[in-house]
Amino acid sequence: MTNPPEFQVSSGGALALQPVAIARKSPSRLFWERFRQDKAALVGLVVIGILILVAIFGGPLAASITGHGQNQTFDSMTDDFGVPKGPNSQFWFGADSAGRDLFVRTMYGARTSLFVGVVASGIALFIGLVVGLLAGFFGGIIDTVLSRTADVLLAVPQILIAVGVVAACSTSKEGCLGGLIQPGLTVVIAVITIFSWSYIARIVRGYTLSLREKEFVEASRSLGATNVRILATEIVPNLVGPLIVYATLLIPTNILFEAALSYLGLGVPPDEASWGSILNDASGYYDVAWWLMVFPGAFLIITTLAFNLLGDGLRDAFDVRSER
Amino acid sequence: MRRSLRFVTLFAAVAAFAVLAAGCGSKKSSSSTTTSSSGSSSAPGVTASYDNGTAAKGGTYTVGWEQSFGFTDNFDPTGEYLGNAWGILDNLLIRPLMGYKHKAGAEGNELIGDLATDVPKPTDNGLTYTYKLRSGIKFGPPVNRVVTSKDVAYAMNRLADPKNGGQYGFYYSVIKGWDDVGSGKAKTVTGISTPDNQTIVFHLTKPTGDFNLRMGMPATAPIPHEVGDCFAGKPGGYGRDIVSTGPYMIQGAGSVSLPCASLKPMAGYQGDNGQKLILVRNPSYDQSTDAYRKNYPDRFNFVINSNADDIYNKVQAGQYDDETSSPQPKTIREYTTNPNLKKRLLSNQGDRTWYLTMNLTQPPFDDIHIRKAMNLIIDKQALRKAWGGPVLGSIATHIAPPVMYNNGLTEYDPYSTPNDSGDVAKAAAEIKQSKYDPGKTGKCTASACKNVLMIADTRALDNRMVPVIEGDAAKIGITFKVRSINGAYTTIQTTNKNIPFSERPGWGKDYADPYTFFGELFDSRALIPSGNTNYSLVGITPAINKAKKLGVTGNLNGIPNVDSDIDACQGKIGQARTTCWEDLDKKMMTSVVPWVPYLWANNAIIVGPNVTHWDYDQFSDTTAYSQVAVKQ
Repeated sequence: MTNPPEFQVSSGGALALQPVAIARKSPSRLFWERFRQDKAALVGLVVIGILILVAIFGGPLAASITGHGQNQTFDSMTDDFGVPKGPNSQFWFGADSAGRDLFVRTMYGARTSLFVGVVASGIALFIGLVVGLLAGFFGGIIDTVLSRTADVLLAVPQILIAVGVVAACSTSKEGCLGGLIQPGLTVVIAVITIFSWSYIARIVRGYTLSLREKEFVEASRSLGATNVRILATEIVPNLVGPLIVYATLLIPTNILFEAALSYLGLGVPPDEASWGSILNDASGYYDVAWWLMVFPGAFLIITTLAFNLLGDGLRDAFDVRSER
Repeated sequence: MRRSLRFVTLFAAVAAFAVLAAGCGSKKSSSSTTTSSSGSSSAPGVTASYDNGTAAKGGTYTVGWEQSFGFTDNFDPTGEYLGNAWGILDNLLIRPLMGYKHKAGAEGNELIGDLATDVPKPTDNGLTYTYKLRSGIKFGPPVNRVVTSKDVAYAMNRLADPKNGGQYGFYYSVIKGWDDVGSGKAKTVTGISTPDNQTIVFHLTKPTGDFNLRMGMPATAPIPHEVGDCFAGKPGGYGRDIVSTGPYMIQGAGSVSLPCASLKPMAGYQGDNGQKLILVRNPSYDQSTDAYRKNYPDRFNFVINSNADDIYNKVQAGQYDDETSSPQPKTIREYTTNPNLKKRLLSNQGDRTWYLTMNLTQPPFDDIHIRKAMNLIIDKQALRKAWGGPVLGSIATHIAPPVMYNNGLTEYDPYSTPNDSGDVAKAAAEIKQSKYDPGKTGKCTASACKNVLMIADTRALDNRMVPVIEGDAAKIGITFKVRSINGAYTTIQTTNKNIPFSERPGWGKDYADPYTFFGELFDSRALIPSGNTNYSLVGITPAINKAKKLGVTGNLNGIPNVDSDIDACQGKIGQARTTCWEDLDKKMMTSVVPWVPYLWANNAIIVGPNVTHWDYDQFSDTTAYSQVAVKQ
């Protein structure tokens, strides 16, 4: 029989148990130890890091290397009938249907896709957090109104409504809501946000309903803490983990949403590159210009896959009850 | 377990993508063979007609149709204003007083008597037109009686009343008493009389040199009051129950019956949401009364198909005989370079100009030097290539296509540049004269030249055109903020939107007279707040803006006006009229400069392998359905 590790027999032979300090592990360390075992999630994290670098520096760098602007057209890169030509030594990804360098546009497209995905998800997270907290913590009429509003948004056909809103907000110089929502990128972000926050709100409400009954909340309340303090110091910190997980899952969803809108011709303007708009371009040439679909499609798949793998890994790492 | 599942998912996604890419690659290799043969090929010229065997009676002619059958007024001839619908109506269903030979080119724009025996000469100093009706022309089922002059008068009165949805009644306001019906002061047009069943007389308020041409439009074809009355005040209603005077009728016409209470829609036309329009032979039609319609097929099937690729695949496979769609550049390339397909690509002049419109009231286009510079900098060759290359048309150099002037002004090009690809030096020289280049740099340096609003549509074509325009304009210092709108016309036709620039517009003739360009596009009297087609706002003044509640904000002073020029040309006939319009075209291009015209469009149509004869209808710019034949 061996002794438990925290007790050692002294060398003098006398049976004297000496206490040994226990190595304390912070929650973040516990999280990291679990997370780093997930190789797929780590790959996702690295890929996302690279994509962020591509989004920030990729477009200008590609333009600098090739000497091609993202909206510069090259007559030599379309044939006599306007059909784009494929990859060559100067146009690594070939050209799009307007004769623009697809490599440069794909790099700039990373910026658009990630920007829309991150910003729309960030706003949706904030709105969802606030709504979910209020609904879950206060309950009653507040919960009824906010939750039913979220339910309504979940029930509407998103693409159809999005198409309508984008079209309506793009018919004038001013945009919608007195110029608050401008045609182009901002209207796309606004539309995506409108349909994204309700998912987060539901999740946050559910967690909040559970957390508000916990002993530490009761303890805080008994010590005279206000509702705002309880929300800020007891509830919200416990929501950080789930929110991070859902954010990583929401970002790729919203990137795809932007791609879908752009694919329908309702996303960013034609002079701003996005993977969805390039794929829209490809739809007319899928059988004669494979490169139009393959390169932006590959980036889109890799991006969504990386975020999904990361989100999956984060969920496992935060959830101590999950089996690995 | 979950982790391994993720890896399986990752592997599956990558593998699926690889297979997808490989699949596309294999298609590419076959198409690149086609590409290699395209290098030396020259673009085909205009094709007048097509023969592939012996034209014989019988068979079904099937047309793949990308749009809906709602057209502009649910096929009701009184309000229908879409060329594709006119092609069906004029070739197959109705017979206006004046008609056409349903041929390509100038011959196809030449007027003939259709319901009328001939083309009358005006009397009374150009104020009276008298038409004699051809005998033996009858209405088809369910009316089955002889057509009289009163049926023509009925159709005209129906058109005069705005409640019936007429969309080009303005062409007939020169008839005495026409506007009184429109304003509700009278119930019938006093300037139309029918002294007998075979004669109809029109009395005009002023000489109108193109009046005979106006009587060849579908809304003027006879309508039987027995059925027309069923749809009084119901725009578009008559489209479902058109009573034929032509060689074909809507399928089911023989099964409907009067009176109105029991009149059901004819089975062959289901309206806007219908999937098919089916026409069969009209038993009341007498071929001996009609010298120009050949009427080979027994039946026409017009089939809705929203997938353009599928339409062209079916045409190639022989499942469709014809199409009304828009061929993508890849389709044009395939049919131009494949010797087996080449003869089935039929390209004809569309009598249509595509252009970039500039709003004369909005900076920086309120300066004529900027507008001229735009004409000098735009690479028209690149824009044509965006459309699909030379098959899709010739480079436009002025307002109306030369065919509208009996092939006049063919050499007129006030903004010629090398290879029509733009000239930076010439454009810069023009810019230096502009108030928006105070430093005389040759570039538009003022803030008004930055982020100028451009309204584009969302079609693939627009996405190809916009970067070309942006790139060219940037060379002279003009940058755009692009708004892509699905259905951009609605926006640019609304005056209070104050749209400075749009790449969307095109305009085709209503009939073979330049008035149908100048009258509708540049006459300040035609300015309206919505649905306005004078996008450049030529002729607008502060007074007009206020009186018509146009809501235009911008520089309204000193806008050129050409109303008197239009009136002067309208009073002329023959060569004097043509010369007058030519001079106005030149004036528009040098003193007004509202557009950058870039393409005189061809209508490229692809026919199937079973078509034995095909002709082009120059009047409606569509297939001459009355001339086509198909293998049985």
